[in-house]
Amino acid sequence: MIVSTPYALGNRAPARVEEPADAPRLAGTLAAAAESGSAVVIFGGSTLQSIGNAPQRYDVAISLRKLDRVLQYDPRELTIGLQAGITLEGVARALAQARQFIPFDAPLPRRATVGGTLAAGWAGPRRAAYGHLRDLLIGSTVALTDGSLVNAGGMVVKNVTGYDMSRLYVGSLGTLGAIVRANFKTLPRPPRQRLAIAPLADEIRERTLTALETLAIEPAAALVVDGFFERVPRLRDEDARLLVLFEGSGAVIDRATRELRSALGKCGIAETLLFDETAAADVLQNTIDAYIEPLEDRSVTYRSTGLPQTVWQRALAVCGIASDCDARFDFIADIRTGDAIVRVAGTSGARTAALLGELDAGVRAAVPGLTVLAGDPALRAQIDAWGTPPSTMETLRAIKTRFDPTASLAPGRYVGGL
Amino acid sequence: MASTFQRRLIDALGTDVARIEPADLAAYGYDAYKEDGNASAAIVPRDVREVATAVRIARECDEPVIPRGAGTGLCGGAVPVKGGLVISFARMNRLLALDVRNRRARVQPGLINLELSSAIARYGVFYAPDPSSQKISTIGGNVGTNAGGPHCLSYGTTTNHVLGLQYVDAAGRIHTTALDDVGYDVTGLLVGSEGTLGLITEIEVRLMRLPEAVRVYVAAFADVESASEAVSAIIGAGIVPVALEIMDKLITQAVEAHYHAGFPADAGAVLLVETAGPLDDMDDAERIIAGIAREHGALSWRAARDAAERAALWAARKGAAGAIGRIAPNYYIQDACVPRTKLPAVMKAVEGIARHYQLPVGNVFHAGDGNLHPLMIFDRREPRQVQAVIDAGNEILQTCIDMGGTISGEHGIGYEKRKTLSLVFSVADLAAMARVRDVFDPMRALNPDKIFPTGAVCGEVKASTAA
Repeated sequence: MIVSTPYALGNRAPARVEEPADAPRLAGTLAAAAESGSAVVIFGGSTLQSIGNAPQRYDVAISLRKLDRVLQYDPRELTIGLQAGITLEGVARALAQARQFIPFDAPLPRRATVGGTLAAGWAGPRRAAYGHLRDLLIGSTVALTDGSLVNAGGMVVKNVTGYDMSRLYVGSLGTLGAIVRANFKTLPRPPRQRLAIAPLADEIRERTLTALETLAIEPAAALVVDGFFERVPRLRDEDARLLVLFEGSGAVIDRATRELRSALGKCGIAETLLFDETAAADVLQNTIDAYIEPLEDRSVTYRSTGLPQTVWQRALAVCGIASDCDARFDFIADIRTGDAIVRVAGTSGARTAALLGELDAGVRAAVPGLTVLAGDPALRAQIDAWGTPPSTMETLRAIKTRFDPTASLAPGRYVGGL
Repeated sequence: MASTFQRRLIDALGTDVARIEPADLAAYGYDAYKEDGNASAAIVPRDVREVATAVRIARECDEPVIPRGAGTGLCGGAVPVKGGLVISFARMNRLLALDVRNRRARVQPGLINLELSSAIARYGVFYAPDPSSQKISTIGGNVGTNAGGPHCLSYGTTTNHVLGLQYVDAAGRIHTTALDDVGYDVTGLLVGSEGTLGLITEIEVRLMRLPEAVRVYVAAFADVESASEAVSAIIGAGIVPVALEIMDKLITQAVEAHYHAGFPADAGAVLLVETAGPLDDMDDAERIIAGIAREHGALSWRAARDAAERAALWAARKGAAGAIGRIAPNYYIQDACVPRTKLPAVMKAVEGIARHYQLPVGNVFHAGDGNLHPLMIFDRREPRQVQAVIDAGNEILQTCIDMGGTISGEHGIGYEKRKTLSLVFSVADLAAMARVRDVFDPMRALNPDKIFPTGAVCGEVKASTAA
């Protein structure tokens, strides 16, 4: 049975939901849960709870929605201190006045929170240009299960004072503590944004992608989207569309557009649709939303990270196995970062359930390091989100034990059953 | 007579790799900090297996292990303060693999920072972190301290450019980590851990494409404060050049006497600016930055003519500490970081502190990052001056903390600042770090007495009883 409340995970709903109003109360709630042997899941906007396995035990949901303030922001510093529960849209709004931004590039920014995005280790398409979120994170406060609130880093942009603990919590999925506060470097917003979309036929793909590597102006993001028609419009008869985003001054954008069109023209692509400013941002956001968008109740979405040059090999390997198993697929290949996102689905939920075992075993064998990013909860419950544990598993286990000795934080959710 | 420990190292690795003669060991007893130590033995391994072997022997003989790059560290991080085995990575200095299309390289830790960028420039890529010591310091050492450099302003520090590591743990086992791995960010923990979590034996680094255009400018100011005001205003206007560096008069004159790079030696302060990116943006960037500089009192503004002049200016800037060494009996360089708008105020405070202690002070710093390096000149034969330098240094650190800053922006904590760490972090903060150390090095055999104040252990005990 699948329980559906906002805080349900897999087939479990929590006995109670806590919404602490400040950091000390949050720390107290964590400590009380650990002491009583309760299992806790920390919630931001609930947009990326699909990452990882459903917890094996689950008694208390802790929502950070009341911790939603900007704590410290002087635009002249190009830094900002945020409570973890603030939404990405809220951050964008605070930064917009001073024409600054943080490239979160995460799905559903009206719901997604800073803490949740960090805990999920979210890595968006513009990170090749602006850096990963963990590289912009300059300080943090985290509540631990012993009730302590611990700081790391600070509000300065260069800091080698003690271990870089903030990075430990990025991508830890709330299994070590609850991120309460995050300090970031902010970036000046480029004056202009332009996104070009062009159809990309299979026969010219390799030539086109090689040509993109030699553009004098590097794109802020470059993706190939195949399928996901509900989010990214179809062009001509081609399933695959090339999306290239440029950000910078007017002069740079204009030159980049000319050079892109010339390069694409040489590869036989005559047609390029251009979207400027908010329209460009909307296309990018829609594409990012697609990363976690399920197809009714019948899909599972895999994510693979790796070298940019192997992204096709990895994406096509998953798609090929899906086809062999009679599943349909949509995919996004990020040619700058090397991320491959593949959504697979049968003709119905039951059909997907029937073919998923074989499909999952096949794709895991073909693409090491593949993880499950999203999908129908019942389907995800059939497969492990993480695949084969990494060679560092012993170290990961030791870290978990030191920070959460009673396994009260989302037990079983993380890599290797942590 | 050789100790059991020394004999076992010689037996396992030979005299070419293992060094036990006092004259040899003396070379491994110090770094660029004032403290000296005595190594029980040293090895200069050729590969990771020799590192692992030596670590296992050290563990069995209960000797601590201290990793060493080029010994350019300024905080005593490489000094064997409690004896033990020093591992010099000088011979593990190769570029193992270069992958231009995926923008990454795999290097051994002893590779000299600048040699990497020099070797790969012809492929149109470079390795961004560029500490002033880059002509001699090693990438392994840079990873140990999470080193910075002038170009961090735009490109970020070492940790932003490390994609994966191979390391030997305290038990002598070999591990590999990568950012692309699932699980906690072990790579990120090791970077900047100053050899206290593992011995880094291979590094996968991120490379960047060389910019299409690069420009370097020099502006003269009446004093450090007005130059700092200009820097705060440039950043405040939302402009992030690739570098924004300030040198005061004392430093500029020392640098010019040695390098003749063309800095205005009569100026109260010099601002060095580098912009990089598409050619189309260069003129606009210059107009805006020069305009802000003039508004804040720039007396002159000059562009370097060509690549040779740019290189000469940078060589002089990066050689600043060395140039001071030529004119001063001794100097002590401090490293701290403040929020960028606090820069003018902190520079004024530094001047006041130096005046109070009657110490000549030079300032050469990464202004755009708020990362200051007051350099105090003294004579170590004069005990009163030595004490004055220590007191003035502590006062500067406390001032930075009071302004919302921290006690090290890029040099690290090492041996020097381990007691100062508790001015920045609470017992609970330090206990969290101790939990990480427990995972990697429960016996405290890796670079002991570095980073952490001795009290941190008590904090750790408290934390674990509370849990």
